[in-house]
Amino acid sequence: MRRPETRRLWQRWLAILWLMALVAAGTSATMLPLPAPDAPDLRAITQPPLTPSHWLGTDLAGRDILAGLIFGARTTLLTSVPAALSAALLGTFLGSMAGYWGNSRLRVPAVVTGWLVILGAGASCISLPTPELVWWLGLAVLGGLALWLATRNKYAATWPVPVDKLVLLLIAFLTAIPRLILVLALAAVQEPSQLALLIVLTLTYWPVTAQIARATMQRIRHLSYIEAAYTLGLPNWRIIIGHALPSIWNSIKVTLPLGVAALIGIETTLSFLGVGLPPQTASWGRILATARLDPTAWWLIVFPSTCIVFTMLALRQITFSSQQE
Amino acid sequence: MKQLLFGFLVVMSSVLGACSSPQQKSASPIRIRWERDPENLDPLILPNENALEAANLLYSSLLFVDPSKQQFTPCLAEALPSVQLKDSLTLLTYRIRREAVWDNGKPVLAQDVAFTLKVMNCPGLPIESNQSQWGFIKDIQLDAQDPRRFTLICAGRSPEYKWSSGDYIILPEYPLDPQGQLRPFSLASLRADTAGDRHTPAIKAFVTRYKQAQLDHHPERLPGCGPYVLEAWEPGRYLTFKRKPTWWADALRSEFLPLQAYPQKLDYQIIPDVATAVLALRRGDIDVYPMMPAREFQHLRQDSTNQPALSFYTADSYKMITACFNTKQAIVRDKLTRQALSLLFDVPALIEATQLGMAYPSAGLISPKLGPLYNDSLPLPAYNPTAATALLRQAGWQRQPSGGWSRRSTDGQVQKLALTLSYRTTDPAFETIALQLRTAGSKLGIPVQPQPLESSVFWDRLRSGTVDMYLFTITGNPFVYNFAPILHTQSIGSGNYTGFGTAASDQLIEAIAAEEQPRRQAQLLRRLQRILHEEKPLTVLFFLRSRLAASSRLTNLQVSGLRPGYSATAIQTKSAPVQ
Amino acid sequence: MRGFLISRLAHALPAAWVILSVIFLLSRGLTNQPTEADGSLAGNLAVHVTTPTQNRLAEYALRKRRGLDLPLFYVSSRATPASGGVAWRWRWNGVHNQYHVWLCGLLRGDLGRSFRDNQPVTTLVSRALTCTLPLTIGAFITIAGAGWGLTLLLAHYRSIRPVVVTALHFLQTLPLFVVALLLLLLLANPDFLDWFPAYGLARPENSTTGLYQLLSSLYHSVLPLFSLVLVSLPSFVVQWHNALQQELKADYILTARAKGVRPSLVIRRHALRNALLPAITYLTDLLPALVAGAVVVELIFALPGMGRLIAESAAARDFPVVLSGVVLIALVRLLAQILADWLYYQADPRIKLEA
Repeated sequence: MRRPETRRLWQRWLAILWLMALVAAGTSATMLPLPAPDAPDLRAITQPPLTPSHWLGTDLAGRDILAGLIFGARTTLLTSVPAALSAALLGTFLGSMAGYWGNSRLRVPAVVTGWLVILGAGASCISLPTPELVWWLGLAVLGGLALWLATRNKYAATWPVPVDKLVLLLIAFLTAIPRLILVLALAAVQEPSQLALLIVLTLTYWPVTAQIARATMQRIRHLSYIEAAYTLGLPNWRIIIGHALPSIWNSIKVTLPLGVAALIGIETTLSFLGVGLPPQTASWGRILATARLDPTAWWLIVFPSTCIVFTMLALRQITFSSQQE
Repeated sequence: MKQLLFGFLVVMSSVLGACSSPQQKSASPIRIRWERDPENLDPLILPNENALEAANLLYSSLLFVDPSKQQFTPCLAEALPSVQLKDSLTLLTYRIRREAVWDNGKPVLAQDVAFTLKVMNCPGLPIESNQSQWGFIKDIQLDAQDPRRFTLICAGRSPEYKWSSGDYIILPEYPLDPQGQLRPFSLASLRADTAGDRHTPAIKAFVTRYKQAQLDHHPERLPGCGPYVLEAWEPGRYLTFKRKPTWWADALRSEFLPLQAYPQKLDYQIIPDVATAVLALRRGDIDVYPMMPAREFQHLRQDSTNQPALSFYTADSYKMITACFNTKQAIVRDKLTRQALSLLFDVPALIEATQLGMAYPSAGLISPKLGPLYNDSLPLPAYNPTAATALLRQAGWQRQPSGGWSRRSTDGQVQKLALTLSYRTTDPAFETIALQLRTAGSKLGIPVQPQPLESSVFWDRLRSGTVDMYLFTITGNPFVYNFAPILHTQSIGSGNYTGFGTAASDQLIEAIAAEEQPRRQAQLLRRLQRILHEEKPLTVLFFLRSRLAASSRLTNLQVSGLRPGYSATAIQTKSAPVQ
Repeated sequence: MRGFLISRLAHALPAAWVILSVIFLLSRGLTNQPTEADGSLAGNLAVHVTTPTQNRLAEYALRKRRGLDLPLFYVSSRATPASGGVAWRWRWNGVHNQYHVWLCGLLRGDLGRSFRDNQPVTTLVSRALTCTLPLTIGAFITIAGAGWGLTLLLAHYRSIRPVVVTALHFLQTLPLFVVALLLLLLLANPDFLDWFPAYGLARPENSTTGLYQLLSSLYHSVLPLFSLVLVSLPSFVVQWHNALQQELKADYILTARAKGVRPSLVIRRHALRNALLPAITYLTDLLPALVAGAVVVELIFALPGMGRLIAESAAARDFPVVLSGVVLIALVRLLAQILADWLYYQADPRIKLEA
């Protein structure tokens, strides 16, 4: 019984060490004696590792891989990991809302709904100086929604809010839209920046967690301890946070490390379509993606994916051990 | 019973034929890699390079470029047209070869050319690009005595008319308009009446027939007089073309490449990915890989295991990568700043890094390989930060204590020297160039922000003029030197995205285009190169070399710098038994 | 049960309409010019030079032929500078607008013709589907089967867990194109193992039998299928394995174990069923990808499938094709959601079916 225990401890320390190394690399990258990650060394293109002055080799534009990995740690810490976290948070929130409230349990006074719709439409009309398109899109959607709500139950004093349906609709919309169209929409609205990228990544990735959270919530909602809490008259938010979320977290936490890898992939695709990270920002995904142009350059695949997998495993270790205590 | 027996024999012979066919060497197809599907073979549309290549196998034109001679040679026409100038009109008289026949044995006549021009101007058909390309042909006059002779009446004067007036594929009249319904309408009347398909029954009937034929995917319904017929087309996968058993040009035994066609079968395979296509070439799944990326080409060439099986060809092309300035932007409005920034490109290193040496620098828009036309007194682009700093000082920029540069413009505002370099995300070489400029700039304290853009966003930005500097590919040719579309003031906003143009440069561009005498044209071109060198609305980084790898059993590929880089119809197999 | 299905299906239609309308307006509103004028041939100095006026006329004529000269929607507005800010001027366009024309066509079942090659969109889509569906369905079944097997294996043999889980995480880091290229370079390389064809589909040969054709097409689809499987399998197995481990800690498992039920039976009979939820979520989430195809795999193995069709059409602004692709994907997504809810109920009847 003893050996698994010590092994687990070791693993945990390794995980923490790796993450700390990441943070250290991300913060001190500029101070290290490294070639600049964005300055191509045109005389050393696609060099294999262990060449003088480029320990881990160079990529197709002559950028140093080691520098790329160390500076890329900062991108991972500032973009990919936060995006995975916020996508998991947003997904958990919307998914558990959908699972908990369903289509009919959340009721709001009719007046409120009406006002909300009108306010929303008005605000989107006035506040957005963006192309007309954006706001009358919003107008069309809200108008349709109002119409639909109104036809459901005309004279009732309270209207049910179909949370579940809305979330599912949003998921279907976000997953049906072709990536290129999304990119164009983004390019028309904003200039690429790290924050915008974070938002976009969150928006594209939350459905994955939301669906799991929703399914889990649907299942546990009818378990006896939730029902008991409900009959005790506990407020809904306390039931959700205090009783339901711990179980949901058990299902979500697996997807979190997996999400980091997926998001690094999406982030790279976006960068290559011109709306992600600017080309001078180093990122692990970018190094990996240049391998596409020269698949025989194994060092372009091995080093960044090793970094990604260590990060994933470290995150996995941390999320799992947090629950065991 | 008889029929049954006959059927049996047919089946047997076809089975045996199928079995024995692999043994016949001549029938083994030439397999060529295409990156994308031609998509649309409607002779009026032909949206991409591959569609043009396919159309040239199926149809013939009056004139055609012989890539080995790098000039227009007569194809259906007997010779280049005789030119006659009359007032503001140019009259071009052609005569079609006596040997030229359609597949049904009928001769190709002037009437067919008239029909082609009318189709190209028929309202209700997708004629937009044709009309803008060949709209200068106002009318056609058929010769009363000689059904093969005709005269094209072109508006205005231009030396290139004698080539461009014959540079479209000729369509047969008999399959589409057997009754000659379009004959009563003159070319001019068709062009004038843009709603003719709605109120004239004959035109309406023709348009309906044309559309019903669905020529976009069924070119066999409009059999041309080219050497091949389309045998099979699986969109996105492959196209095969079969040589006609007898083609009219066989009898000519002409030395011109467009009048020769050797392969019995051409098999174009569509393989979008480069790595897959290279594997396919090495496995022997394809024979010809045109327009190969530099890196793969170099890898393959250096790998000795490929040497016996593959042959490698390069040719100097007319395609160049340029860095252009948007001269309307305040910070690059003066030529000194533009000159200074141009000195920050390390062209030799970029050629080595992005093209692995398979490119060559040039002082201007004219390829150095064009001899007397190239102004060799101009210096080649060189990386020179010291000279750049001096030029910047001269332009009024002052280095700030903070490291950046700024100056006070004429209207009293403080300008900061910082710019974005936009480029399309399609070519990885652009990114390397952008990063090199950024590094060179940051050493001098000039912040350069690379800005990769998706194609359509890139074009939008160019049109709206919201870029500072951009990387751009320009493809020239060795026949016509007309730079109006990219440098004339009239084209500002629709092709001249640099916003450059002075009265003198406009005049010079027009003069070059109108000049017929080669020696004087060379002088004018050299002058234009000097002006562009000084004004620097754009700087040519390098001209590319086109690269092609092919199976060693093939010969006579006629590799050239003109698109598509080889001549499919000329290819022969080395081991072909001599008969 | 039937009520649930009918009601959900009835609600799926307006949802699909909302999605389509938004994507229609987005795609057309953002890029409203055909790209032919500036596509691949731009930057070519042609032999004959057209004037800017001619170019503009040609472009206008093209837009008109494609119906892109009409206003986009029933109403349009334009900002006009007025005293103290900007005033919006509204305009009613009537039914002569792109949206109306498209919607009417859609209601008649007419998806239009492709801008690029003038083929009816239904032809293009069905041709792409005949290439995509066998591959993706094959991959789907393999994923489901292999995922099930691997999860059980992991549950039985504790000792292999760390290795397998790490390996799965490593696979997860590799993007699809790396996996596909690696398979290609390892298994279709004349220098290494030349076991499989590098690209394409089996070519129809008239002298061969149907069985041979079938085998040949299977042989051609091995590498693309495996790249799809290798990319999707890791997160599926990791999630399911985790859910199973959670279940195995539950009280009823302890009870069953205490009663002396065989461990393998405990896993298969009791725990697996309750751990199905993430598996259902994951698999139904994959369903839209069955019709959407995988553009990377299709590009690398030169397959003319749906992914390539949609991506190329989007790049060329071939709106009718893009929108038809979106119609299909959105519908399958909505159906998958209904199916997922029904399967949740089947797996755990305590979950209430909500219409």
